[in-house]
Amino acid sequence: MSLSNASRVSRSPLQNASHTKWYSVALVAPALAAIVFLFAVPLIRSVVTAFIDADGGWTLENISRAVEFYGRDVVFTIVIAVLSLAVIAAISIAIAGYLTLGSTPWAVAALRWLYRWPLFIPFIVAGQTARSFLARNGLMNSMLMEAGLLEPVAAQSFLDWRGLVMTFAWKQVPFVTLLLAGAMASLDRATIESARNLGANRLRCLFEIVLPQVRPTLFVGLILSLVTIMSVLSVPMMIIAGTPNMMTTMMAHRVTYYGDYAVANALGLFSYLLTALVAWFYLRSTLEKEAGK
Amino acid sequence: MQSTSLTLDNVTVRMGQNTILDSISLSVPQGSFTCLLGPSGCGKTTLLRAIAGFAPLESGDMAIDAVSIAALPPEKRQTAMVFQSYALWPHMSVAENLAYPLKLRGIDRASRARKVARILDLLDLAEFGARSVASLSGGQRQRIALGRALVIDPPILLLDEPLSNLDAAIRRNLRSELRQLQRQLGITTIMVTHDQEEALSMADTIVLMRSGKIAQVAAPEALYAAPVDIDAARFMGVENFITTDSGEMGVASDAACFGFRSMSASICLHPLAGHLNRKAVVIDSAYAGDSYQVLVKSDGELFSARSSTPQLAGAQVILCVPADALIPFGADKNCLIPTDYRTPGRTLS
Repeated sequence: MSLSNASRVSRSPLQNASHTKWYSVALVAPALAAIVFLFAVPLIRSVVTAFIDADGGWTLENISRAVEFYGRDVVFTIVIAVLSLAVIAAISIAIAGYLTLGSTPWAVAALRWLYRWPLFIPFIVAGQTARSFLARNGLMNSMLMEAGLLEPVAAQSFLDWRGLVMTFAWKQVPFVTLLLAGAMASLDRATIESARNLGANRLRCLFEIVLPQVRPTLFVGLILSLVTIMSVLSVPMMIIAGTPNMMTTMMAHRVTYYGDYAVANALGLFSYLLTALVAWFYLRSTLEKEAGK
Repeated sequence: MQSTSLTLDNVTVRMGQNTILDSISLSVPQGSFTCLLGPSGCGKTTLLRAIAGFAPLESGDMAIDAVSIAALPPEKRQTAMVFQSYALWPHMSVAENLAYPLKLRGIDRASRARKVARILDLLDLAEFGARSVASLSGGQRQRIALGRALVIDPPILLLDEPLSNLDAAIRRNLRSELRQLQRQLGITTIMVTHDQEEALSMADTIVLMRSGKIAQVAAPEALYAAPVDIDAARFMGVENFITTDSGEMGVASDAACFGFRSMSASICLHPLAGHLNRKAVVIDSAYAGDSYQVLVKSDGELFSARSSTPQLAGAQVILCVPADALIPFGADKNCLIPTDYRTPGRTLS
C-alpha cells in the first residue's frame, strides 16, 4: 500500500474519533451537571458556611459552638453508628451465610423470601413500627408478658439507644444481606466444596473461605449503611425524645428553631468527616489489594 | 499412608424428577487407580460427588473399608477431591492453600510448615510457596490442587477431570506424573474423565458409564479390545460396523455384525489372506499426519480406513481388515467376546 493510501485510510477513523469524543461529552454532561450543581456546589457551600461568621469573615466560632453544644451528640452518633454496623454485619453474615451454605432447602427458600421485606418499608414507617413495638407497653413487652417471660413491673421502654440500634439494624440488614448474598452466590462454588471436602465444617467454611472472598462487598454495604444512618432524620426523632440524639436531629433542630445554618453546617462537617474517614479506609484497603495483585 | 477400599452398593441419586445415578454397585480395591469414563451427562461426575458427599443418596450405601460413609457430611468423609476448576482459595497464598487442610486438622504451625515444604518439593514447586495463586499457570495450579489433596494423606483420592483444562503437551506430561505419584503413594484413586485415551493410559480399571448406569467394568486392554456392546464400542473409538456373513473371512462366528477401528483397516489393491476384504469406492481422502484417513463406500455403506498414500476419489479399491481386529457383535448388539477376556493380541475362534 502506498503512503498516500495509508494516510487517506487513517484519516476517517480520526474524524470519527473526534465526533465520538463530542458525543461522549454530550452523554456525560447531564450526569456531570447534576453532580456539580446538586452535590458538589451545595457541599462546598455548606463547608464554607461552617467557617463564616455573621459578618462574612472567617471564623472557627461555629465549630467550637457546635462542639460545645453538641459534643455529646457527636459521640452518641458515633457509638450508635458503630453498634448498629456491628449488629448489621453480624446478622447479615449469618443470613447470607445460611443462604449460601444452608442444607435444608425449604428453610433456605423461606429465608430468601422473608429477609427482603424491610427493604420495602420507608424509614418513617419503620420508626413508627419501632415505637409501637418497643414502647414500655408496646407489642414486644406485651408478648413477653403473655408468654410469662416478663414481670409487668420489670417492663421497660426500649425507646432509647437500644431501640435506635435495633431499628437501624432491622432496616439495613436486608440491604447488606442482599449485597452479601449476591456476592457469595457468585463465588466459585468449588472453592466452598473443596474446603468442606478437605475437612472444614460449614461455620469454618463461612469465616475462613467465603467471608474473606466477599469482604469488599461487606465493606461497601456497611459504608452505605453508615451514610444512611448518618442521614436518617425520622427514626432518631421518633424513637428518642430529648438528648443526646443523632447529629441529624440536632442539625434539624438548629435550623428549624434558631435558623442557625452556620452551627448546623459545622455539625454537618463532623458527619462528612466521619463518613469520609471510613470511605478513605475502604479505598486504601482496596488500593492496597489492587497493588498486591 | 494408609490406603483403603471403597464399596458402592446400589447407589441411586435423583435430582428432581431425574434419576442421575441408577443402582450403581462397584468395588474399588485398595491402592487401585479407577477411571470413571463416559460421555457428558452419563453421571460420572455425580458419582464422584456422591462419594465425596456432595450429592445426597436416594437409596443405596457406600462404605470405605466396610464402614458406611453414606450418612456423613463431606468434611467427615476423609476423601480428598481435586476439582476440575482446581478450586484453589484465591485469598490465600500457595503455601496457605496447602496448609489450610492441615490447620483444619489442628496440626501445629511447625509441622504444617514442614509438610507443606515436603509437598512443594514433591510437586517440584519449592520456590512457589509465597506466591499468590492468581500468578500461577494452569499446570502449576493443577499441581497445587493435587498437592492440597495429598497433604492430608487421604485414604481415597478423587479426581474430577483434573487434566481437562490443560494444553495437550502439559496434559501428557502430567498424566504420567500423576500415575507415577499414585503408584509411589499407593493411594486408592478414582478419576473422572471423558477422554478415553487418558483413561486407557492411566487406569488399572475403567468403569464405563452410560445414562446413570455402569455399562462395563474392565481393565483398559479388555475394554479396548472387547467393548461390551455396540454403543460402548462406538465410545471406545470403533467407528465402523459391517454386517457380514462370517464365512467370508473363514472364521466361525455367529456374529450379526463386526466392528473395527479405522486405524486397523487399510486400503489395498488386492485381497489379503486372513483379512476381511471388501470391494469399495473411494469417496474422500484427508491427510491425518502419519497417514491418510480414507472414506470409502461399499454396498451403500460408508467406512473409514487408513492408507499410507493419498487415494483419488472414485478409485476402485479393496477395504482390508485383519481378522483379529474385528470385534464380533450378536443380534442383540452385545459383544460376543467373553467378558473375562483380558489379554490383547487375540484371534477369533
